[in-house]
Amino acid sequence: MKKILVISGPNLNLLGTRKTSIYKESSLDEIHARLRKKAAELGMEVDCEQYNSEGDIIDRMQQVPGTYAGVVLNAGALAHYSYSLRSAIGTMLVPCVEVFMSNVHAREEFRHKSVIADVCVGTISGFGAHSYVLALEALANLAGI
Amino acid sequence: MGSRRIAIINGPNLNMLGRREIGIYGGKTLDQICDEIRHEGERHDISLEFFQSNVEGFIVDYIHSCAGKVKGIVINAGAFTHYSVALRDALGAVRLPAIEVHISNIYKRETFRHLSYIAPVCIGQVCGFGSYSYILGLRALMEKLDEAVPE
Repeated sequence: MKKILVISGPNLNLLGTRKTSIYKESSLDEIHARLRKKAAELGMEVDCEQYNSEGDIIDRMQQVPGTYAGVVLNAGALAHYSYSLRSAIGTMLVPCVEVFMSNVHAREEFRHKSVIADVCVGTISGFGAHSYVLALEALANLAGI
Repeated sequence: MGSRRIAIINGPNLNMLGRREIGIYGGKTLDQICDEIRHEGERHDISLEFFQSNVEGFIVDYIHSCAGKVKGIVINAGAFTHYSVALRDALGAVRLPAIEVHISNIYKRETFRHLSYIAPVCIGQVCGFGSYSYILGLRALMEKLDEAVPE
């Protein structure tokens, strides 16, 4: 069974408690439950994790090859400046889909640039919790499921 | 049920799909991709209308005509994405939920493709998944419409 790693970056543990104008919703636990349900429908398995520390995410990325068929990554603010995360993604040679819950292009200019986008298969942004679900579907499609 | 109608808009050069830069855009023709989208729409009882033009002004006209006729738009504006302020204004004017899609990962390509003029007036963006980007975009829009009109 194809196993997918879902990683959320800094501050996403606060989902559901933050200002709701951008992130109306759903706690991260609720999103993870939704992803498990979708994965089961697709005949896949997901491990869902969250880290506030850049280094922890890099450690996990390095453990991906051989264990996971793909990664769904909401890097949060790290997407906009973490070159070390970019290198970790580029190194693992496993398809990674970049997701954002908000439409980053409708927000501050520093969020318009992602330093990880070009080492990912593609990007899905703006659909709240559904961004994660769509990313899982994208990986399933890539895997021929 | 059945009342949900969505417009699928394709911009310049997308009529050449399957014959142009296959390494970037894949080997499917636009007709084949539209068939896939139609199939997905049927599965969800959504009616679709398809529009493709190489002419910026025709796309602007078409977006205007969408007001009151469809519930939302999935748009691959092609290269217009990166410079058409008129397209952005048209999408902003009709105030319909719109999803921006791209076949290729625009962030892996030339720097001029990294900026999208229409992104801020769209709900969100899907790029990099080949023709499947349209399917994901359509699903994103359907979810949005479901939120807006609780069934």
